Amino acid sequence: MKAFRFLRPRTLAEASEALRREPGAVPKAGGVDLLDRWKERVEEPEVVVGLCDVTDGAALRLEEDGALVLGALATLADLAGSDLVRRFLPALARAADQAASPQIRHRATLGGNLAQATRCGYWRLRSFPCLLRGASRCPVREPGGVQETAGIFANDPCASAHPSSVAPVLGALGAEILVGGGPEGGRGLAFEALWRAPEPGRSDVLALEPGELIRAVRIPPSAHPVRVGHAEVRQRAAFDWPLVTAAVGLTLDADRIREARVWLGSVAPTPHRARAAEAALTGRRLAEVRATFDGRAAAEGATPLPGTAYKAGLVAVAARRALADALERS
Amino acid sequence: MSEQAAGPTARRVQATWRVNGESVTVAFRPHRTLLEVLREDLGLTGTKHGCELGECGTCTVLLDGEPVLSCLVLGLECEGREIRTVEGLAGPEGPSDLQRAFAELGAAQCGYCTPGFLLVAEHVLAREPRPTRAQLVEELSGNLCRCTGYLKIYEAVERAAQRRAEGAAAEGRHGG
Ligand SMILES: Cc1cc2nc3c(=O)[nH]c(=O)nc-3n(C[C@H](O)[C@H](O)[C@H](O)COP(=O)(O)OP(=O)(O)OC[C@H]3O[C@@H](n4cnc5c(N)ncnc54)[C@H](O)[C@@H]3O)c2cc1C
Ligand code: FES
Ligand code: FES
Repeated sequence: MKAFRFLRPRTLAEASEALRREPGAVPKAGGVDLLDRWKERVEEPEVVVGLCDVTDGAALRLEEDGALVLGALATLADLAGSDLVRRFLPALARAADQAASPQIRHRATLGGNLAQATRCGYWRLRSFPCLLRGASRCPVREPGGVQETAGIFANDPCASAHPSSVAPVLGALGAEILVGGGPEGGRGLAFEALWRAPEPGRSDVLALEPGELIRAVRIPPSAHPVRVGHAEVRQRAAFDWPLVTAAVGLTLDADRIREARVWLGSVAPTPHRARAAEAALTGRRLAEVRATFDGRAAAEGATPLPGTAYKAGLVAVAARRALADALERS
Repeated sequence: MSEQAAGPTARRVQATWRVNGESVTVAFRPHRTLLEVLREDLGLTGTKHGCELGECGTCTVLLDGEPVLSCLVLGLECEGREIRTVEGLAGPEGPSDLQRAFAELGAAQCGYCTPGFLLVAEHVLAREPRPTRAQLVEELSGNLCRCTGYLKIYEAVERAAQRRAEGAAAEGRHGG
């Protein structure tokens, strides 16, 4: 790891101020992702803004209007163990509880989980070329590239995959992101607006302004009953990265689906919204989708590489299981 | 807001931690991980250095009572905090009940993973004195062992849990 200056703000506002003052400074939450990146010397920031002393970022609150606001500095263990989250957002509690390992869940924060970088082995090893780090092409896409865990949607020119297994559940819950500290002050972002598409020579994944930080994730209240389910396909049952994550959120009118949200993880450079699957579910009766939904619509638009052809099939399986999970639980 | 310079050439910072119940003042280079400071600056080499990437669990210590991977924590973040390492498990009477159970049942073979398992197990038993096998499997899933096949590790934790329960019951009978 290389030299850096370490700043220790006490509030999120102070942290943003430090980030604006020091161009190139990097915010550090749990450090689960960042320390790997620094040790491999993929990134070598001069200034690190440590969020370890920040006291106003980890609260989990139920607002008066029924919205749930989840502080960006809450850890995955906080989410999994919170009575509030378990009661109102059980699918999120389960997803947080299945991620990584107990030790990691005690440190990994919600904000850092959404902002984490790809696990692409080329990006993560300094000695390999990578489009995001200045190479002219993505080596994953070349013949002989290691493709197994690569993205199958929006994978040209960069075939990286966003690995969060928590993000799809938040998407299915209709979450929005509260950011703050930038030129526009506090603002709410639609869930998908948090991420940028990959650009050559840029490794940052978020569409934030200088100084902006994720402050919280807000789950809006719903006037109608909502059911959310999720499913992950992993090689090992625990302590492994999912190959594919799917989450399905259904807003109901009696037994009919008013609105469907289907999100996938580990399949594209950003969490991926499966709109064709949403269209296949919207307006249908629950009994009908239970009998007929085969999940294949979730893979529509996929452009797999030779080594990731299997993933389109896994997407269908995961989407089907996520729907079953949503229907099974209330 | 305070500020600390970090880097190979940067001066060492001084910090006071509580390590295994004692207050310790330690000087270390500011970009060092908790794992490195424990092993290299404090000479506590019981905490093992494995993958250094969060993937094996052998570097686990308890930070304010919670199991964390010391390879992914900066030393700078530990000021004033309570750290428990494997060196802190044995008491004046020798190895702890968990350590004894590990030895009796052959739950340590090469032993490289053992410190991490012991600390997670200590944390589990502090919260849940009689964990089910399924709970143990889940709670210990962040620690890899390439030798034992895990079974003996689960059995050892269960043996320690059972002895603690029997010990507590005996104390109850004797009005202790
Ligand atoms: C072995 C292993 C297995 C894992 N398995 C899973 C899994 O199954 N599912 C899963 O979802 N994840 C998994 N993870 C990933 C882990 O959950 C993330 O690395 C972690 O959540 C990152 O959070 P952090 O607080 O440590 O972030 P940090 O490492 O501190 O930061 C990560 C990134 O987020 C940025 N950042 C942090 N906070 C903010 C903020 N508030 N606003 C803006 N930017 C911010 C940082 O600048 C950095 O770019 C695994 C990790 C490991 C090591
Ligand atoms: S050395 Fe820390 S997890 Fe492997
Ligand atoms: S005893 Fe050798 S790795 Fe566990």
